[in-house]
Amino acid sequence: MPEAKALFEKYYDKLLQSAGNDNISLAISWALDIWREKKAKALERFPETVELAKEVRHLKEDCVQRLDELVHQASEALKENGVQVYYAKTADDALAIVGKIIGSGKVVLAAKTITGEEIGLRQYVENLRNEYWETDVGEFIQQLRKEKPMHYGLPALHVTRKEVARLLTNFFGREIPPEAPAQVAAIRQFLRSKYSTADVGISGCNALAADTGSAIIIENEGNIRILTGMPPVHIILLGIEKVAPTLHDAFKVAEVTWRYAGFTMPAYLNIVSAPSSTSDIEFNLVRGASGPLELHVIFLDNGRSTLAKDPIQKEALYCLKCGNCLFECPVFQLTAGYYGGHGHFGGIGAIWNAYITSSLKEAAPIAYTCFRCGSCAEICPVSIDACKLVTELRHTIVRTARS
Amino acid sequence: MGSTKPYIPPALSLISTNTVRSGNPLGLTIQDCASWANNLQIPNKGDTILYTGCEYQMTSYIQSLRNILKKVKFQDSFFSAFQHIQGFVDLTKAYTHIVKKQRETYDNFLRMSALTLMRLNIDFAYLEGELYSGALLYEYGLFEEFQKQAQLVADVFKQAGVKRIITLSPHSAEIFLKVYPKFVDSFDFEIITYVSVITDAVKKSNRALSLAEPLIVTLHDPCHLARSLNVTEEPREVLQAIKNLVLKEVASNRRLTVCCGAPCELIYPELAELAAAKRVRELAETGAKVAITLCPFCHANLTGGVRLTGKDIRIIDFIEIVCQALEGGNAGG
Repeated sequence: MPEAKALFEKYYDKLLQSAGNDNISLAISWALDIWREKKAKALERFPETVELAKEVRHLKEDCVQRLDELVHQASEALKENGVQVYYAKTADDALAIVGKIIGSGKVVLAAKTITGEEIGLRQYVENLRNEYWETDVGEFIQQLRKEKPMHYGLPALHVTRKEVARLLTNFFGREIPPEAPAQVAAIRQFLRSKYSTADVGISGCNALAADTGSAIIIENEGNIRILTGMPPVHIILLGIEKVAPTLHDAFKVAEVTWRYAGFTMPAYLNIVSAPSSTSDIEFNLVRGASGPLELHVIFLDNGRSTLAKDPIQKEALYCLKCGNCLFECPVFQLTAGYYGGHGHFGGIGAIWNAYITSSLKEAAPIAYTCFRCGSCAEICPVSIDACKLVTELRHTIVRTARS
Repeated sequence: MGSTKPYIPPALSLISTNTVRSGNPLGLTIQDCASWANNLQIPNKGDTILYTGCEYQMTSYIQSLRNILKKVKFQDSFFSAFQHIQGFVDLTKAYTHIVKKQRETYDNFLRMSALTLMRLNIDFAYLEGELYSGALLYEYGLFEEFQKQAQLVADVFKQAGVKRIITLSPHSAEIFLKVYPKFVDSFDFEIITYVSVITDAVKKSNRALSLAEPLIVTLHDPCHLARSLNVTEEPREVLQAIKNLVLKEVASNRRLTVCCGAPCELIYPELAELAAAKRVRELAETGAKVAITLCPFCHANLTGGVRLTGKDIRIIDFIEIVCQALEGGNAGG
């Protein structure tokens, strides 16, 4: 299996290269201090979040147990709302659906979407001869760097402002100073020129309520608010594990997610249930008012229902993608998202890569990186024991390699 | 579909082969493992045993091994050639001088641990034929080999009539407490960590603990001890009872401790070193000249981190500081 071995070698080369890059550990150590403080403050002001997180853990256990039923219920609710609903079994299926909706020659704006990263969305849409822009500042930086996101919440957390200055100066063709406000202003100006002419907005969501068909999307930058409202077409791409039984449940999931990501309250909480519409003229329902004309929701399986049936590894599906574990991971602190595969990072990322994004073969080098030190489990809001999962995954790897 | 098979790093087959053959992952002989106890007159039978699990003994070879691993990377052929002829120990012959020095350090820790128990009037025995717990087999996903090893270990304890096991390393304690019950029937021995035994005994005894000279230390909590076993206050209670010792806490302490990197040293040796260097910088930031840990793998890896960073800090084991403090600062080998 020379190819499987080459995966190890290639991965380790990159991992070591990133671990030897002092900028990465420096940038992360700054981010870590600020983030720890923010999270502590948020939990101090809302101490009940800790109990709520336990409730969300039970909620997730229940949801993963009945994915089919919840996705069916959510689909019915969404259709009732006038939404076009799709179920994609694989990443390729999802891409084909997106391709059909978008076509080519369009301007597409994307909110930071982990699920999009998982299926290689940007590359695919660009290959169809569309203009595609990431609208999250960190993700925009990563797009310009031609690099994958490096963290769920802060995709460019490993990049120093000096590096950002060089990157933006080069892209905009004018001097951008090594100061965050000026850098954000330049990006804002650029993106604002795109919003009004964009044809499609693509986002993920943090939770989707099966009873009402409402997607909750947490954000601070205002990009999601605009791209889910301004372009005539809005596509929501989500993993099936994101479905919660009720709107109330979905809200609980979202609240725990943002609180553990260090926010007392995010600037914006988008709740999208239908395309825009009006009944103001003779009470006749017309789809498409000021907001989008169309809303498309794509449920992505891509291995999730298989993972849900694994008595041990199903725990990985409870992940809220809050990014706590990554911040505290000793390997991540040295290497950022190079410790991971497509879209999923760290010890828990090894499970996601094995069952969802890639394969056991590609997940093996990641699984053997984990120190099994337990710092991720210590701070995970939904108490995912990634050490246990990684150990079991290693056993699966060994068994498969020997079979 | 053959191409879907994953690759497993060469260290795995070496560890499993050696454990099956010698009872420990590096291929140490019983004499290699037990020689530290020579002339100490420790009984070889008793209700309570001191279990070293050969871990401190193996640590002596790890630095040399890492040097070899760094050179050969993922060359299976290199390893499999050695695997069939010799064990890991023979592999390290090129580094005899390093190994010799390291063995003195770690054998000394073992001797001090036994002497301390004696001084505190704790009855214990040491089984010369003790086997490695197999923790590494479990951690690397080699469950089949682990199961066999765990059964052998349990049988050795049962045959010796053991009731109570004092574990010197957190890895042994954790694997006995959390994992063995799932793999071995009626593994019902009382497991107690060395640090807990010492803490209890120090509290009960009226022996003064003191150092000859003032010393500022910091404490590196081993991950498995702090998080998995929730042992965080015991070492602090003992350290705070030592006269002339000042404990300065590192920012990430207790359950929020940061891993030294040792767990990946046989797979990704350079990564283990970089992680150690990072932790050493954090420990040195406290201003302490000595960092205390309670795990042989932490000790070895962090010592490597000191060499790499050139920081003015020394890594010592909890065993050593307690032994010194009991002697009033005049002993410790």
